[in-house]
Amino acid sequence: MVISTREKNDILIVDVEGEIRRSDITDVTLHQWIKQQLERGKRKILLNFEKVDFIDSFGVGEILASYISTHNLGGKLKLVKISKKIFLIFQVTMLTKVLEIFDDEQVALESFFRE
Amino acid sequence: MSSRRIYHLLSRLVDLRPEEASSAFLLFFYFFLIQISAYIIEPVKISLYLRWLTADRLPYAYLLSALLIGLAVALNSELLQRVRRHFYIASSLLFFIFTLVLFWFLFRLHWPWLSLIYWFWSDLFMVTSTTQFWIMVNDLYHPHQAKRLIGFLVSGGLLGGVAGALVASRLARSLGTENLLLICPALLLGCLVIIYFSRRLSQKEERTDSSRAEAGKPARSSPLATWRAIRASRYLSALAVIVALGMVVTTLVDFQFVSVVGGTFTDQDARTSFLGSFLTILLIFSYLLHILFTNRILRKAGIRVALLIAPALLLLGSVAIFFIPAVYLIHWAVFIKGTDKSLSYSLNQSVRELLYIPVPPEIKYRAKVFIDMFVSKFAKGLSSIILLVGFTLLHFNLQQISLVVIAFILGWIFLNLSITREYVNTVKRNLKIKWQDADRVIKDSLDLDLTKLIFDTLESKKRSSVLYAMNLLHLLKTEKMSPELKKILSYKADEIVARSMDAVLEARGQIFIPEIDEALEQGSLGAEVEEILSLASYQEVMKDYLDRVSKDRSQEAETSKMEVAKALGLMEAGLAVTRNLKRLLKDESPDVASYALESAARLKQREFIPLIVRHLSRPATRDVAQRTLVDYGTKIIGTLKDYLSDKDEDLNLRKAIPGILARMGTQRAADILSLELKKQEEEVATEIIEALYWLRTRHPQLHFPQELVVSEIIRLIRKSYQLIFELKEIKDKKEAGLLFQDLENSLARTLKHIFELLSLIYPLEDMTRAYQNICLGTKKSLDYSIELLDNILKKELNLYLLPLIEELPLEIRAQKCRKLLKNLEKLSPGPEPGEGKPDS
Repeated sequence: MVISTREKNDILIVDVEGEIRRSDITDVTLHQWIKQQLERGKRKILLNFEKVDFIDSFGVGEILASYISTHNLGGKLKLVKISKKIFLIFQVTMLTKVLEIFDDEQVALESFFRE
Repeated sequence: MSSRRIYHLLSRLVDLRPEEASSAFLLFFYFFLIQISAYIIEPVKISLYLRWLTADRLPYAYLLSALLIGLAVALNSELLQRVRRHFYIASSLLFFIFTLVLFWFLFRLHWPWLSLIYWFWSDLFMVTSTTQFWIMVNDLYHPHQAKRLIGFLVSGGLLGGVAGALVASRLARSLGTENLLLICPALLLGCLVIIYFSRRLSQKEERTDSSRAEAGKPARSSPLATWRAIRASRYLSALAVIVALGMVVTTLVDFQFVSVVGGTFTDQDARTSFLGSFLTILLIFSYLLHILFTNRILRKAGIRVALLIAPALLLLGSVAIFFIPAVYLIHWAVFIKGTDKSLSYSLNQSVRELLYIPVPPEIKYRAKVFIDMFVSKFAKGLSSIILLVGFTLLHFNLQQISLVVIAFILGWIFLNLSITREYVNTVKRNLKIKWQDADRVIKDSLDLDLTKLIFDTLESKKRSSVLYAMNLLHLLKTEKMSPELKKILSYKADEIVARSMDAVLEARGQIFIPEIDEALEQGSLGAEVEEILSLASYQEVMKDYLDRVSKDRSQEAETSKMEVAKALGLMEAGLAVTRNLKRLLKDESPDVASYALESAARLKQREFIPLIVRHLSRPATRDVAQRTLVDYGTKIIGTLKDYLSDKDEDLNLRKAIPGILARMGTQRAADILSLELKKQEEEVATEIIEALYWLRTRHPQLHFPQELVVSEIIRLIRKSYQLIFELKEIKDKKEAGLLFQDLENSLARTLKHIFELLSLIYPLEDMTRAYQNICLGTKKSLDYSIELLDNILKKELNLYLLPLIEELPLEIRAQKCRKLLKNLEKLSPGPEPGEGKPDS
């Protein structure tokens, strides 16, 4: 998993690349990385999954833990450009009822300001 | 004068913020001018009435005033709803200016009954101008702001009263009583100028909200509608009754005073001289009392104590009459009248106005006009009837009247206590919960274990049919297989799903993927598999295979090891083969270890614990290791405590333990975490505080040692002060940009921990509301949060916390912290008084 970031209007866009799976983790997990951003005062986070091919149960746990940490600090964490297959699994597991998932980055960015 | 200069001048006298300087300055002078006018108009009223209509006709004046004031209330309520605030106040001032000149002219015509009309006009001026002033204060300030500034504003009125009384007494003879009226229009023109400038002052955010709210519905401003609205609110009803009871007590005490003075000074000149001296001293005493004590009492003791001071002293005075010899009655009368008047001019007025501040704006102004103008006049009328019946018909003596006063005071005290509770609730209603606990939202919305199992099952499909079959079996055992889920998992899934699931669901030609058919769905299948796994013959046959695979260190054996790890979890605990799990728990592959950890959670064998604990330091397996240890239950709490306390252990491992203890949710877990907190070990403090907070949110019945929690809060406050000093040091250094941001973030984190700790010993919901509104709220919600904390936290604790929360320039914040730091060491955790009692 490779993480790079951009920032637009106070929103941290996190471009994730590769697979989010247990066996790929070295020393910092996605959740720990998000927590570091929260500690730096970031409160609006958009996870861009355009280049994520695979997520295992560990990855799901990391996404949810990141969501909890962000929301419990009054922030927002949203997902964009998630692959169809992952979206389908998210739907079946009802994750789509909790997580805000967008197809388009611009729409996702605008959604932060509509609230 | 510039706003900055005004701030520097006023900040020596009153605790105000730079942005409040102009408004406070203008309001002070507004009230000052209004009260000078009032204290000129009042003696002219009495003097002219007595001259033209004599004292015998005073009841006519009372009656007319009481009747007509109802009409004035209706008119004022209507205008408040329909006309912009500044226009309404400016128009009223112009009306009073014009009518003052008109009265001056008409008095020259010597019409006797004109003084009766002037009597009502004078009452109308008093009550309207004062109410309008307090409406402006309500428009501009939130509760905590008002609490800081109200003493200063009231002192403007008191000084105005002293000045007005002096002007009237000094100039009456030289200018003539009627001519005194011409001074007032000039003063009221000054008020008009202030109104003009105050238009530019920024108002509270709620004004816009209220205007919007009011625009959306038709105004119901009739006195009857207002009366119904007041009755519908427990808080406003209590406030109305408090005002009424206060007025009844004041009138009865006034009557007692006049009776004693009349009996003591039979000579008219001696009586007038005594009354003149008494009133002058009273006003000066009230002013001194106000500037010396009002603010201190409000800030240090709070609204509840402030509300009780007047009735307590009056109760004491009323009881004292039964023990005072007749010769000292005049001293008693001076004491009780002086107490009542001086407090009603100073402390009582401030507290009463503060009580209006948290009332929702859509009812506040109408209710205020109704209560201050109508209810108080009605109460005065009621007390006249009481006196008429008691004194004239039943021939009560002073002591018997005191008994009536005592009864009213007891009711007053009871209501004062009750309104304090309602005040806190009213403040709370202004603080909305900004976000829900996300952990709880997720738990309510989805089954996390099931979700993870689905992902594992799908992932295993790519790896091995055996692993897939075992996961599938596990999934079936959960009995949560929805048709949609079956479609995704099924080999025979329809084409649409297969296309969308592409790589994940695509069957790799060589691997056999079991179908989800009816046979697999049979409830007995799981039991049959488990029976087979526990057969001695199965153990015998599989022993070598299981040993061999678990010992194999090659990369190729990873999938087989995952299969074995999963299978071992389906067996009975204690079987010899399950010991292979120890090797698998040590496996380098996080996937193998993860399956092994899940199996260990089912077998719960003590010998696995050290191996499981090691995974707490590995990011890839930490979460599953934590869940596994939680599944072991409370029997391993002692072991976990040892790891947590051991400073030689890996720090990441230690940091993972508080979360496990929290999820065990027992009092013992809470006690262990509290004891670890006591060690004040910075490295694991964050995790311990978060775990304690987690326990508090899920298990409200648990207790946390207050003394220990308070001492940790004090440590964090001290740490925050140091961060503020550092921030101030580097503020102007250009190269310190990133460091400044880090320090600010660190300060925000420490504040979060302070509130998490406060939640352990104070009501959780209150602390959540306060913290969330401090983090995300508007100026209004920040101020309400501070007011809420002021009412529920221990006073000393609140005092030290305040500079961390208040919106202050960094220099002033650092200055305040530096002053407080010296005393911080002395703060000793102790029991809470009354309402602010922690709920642990």
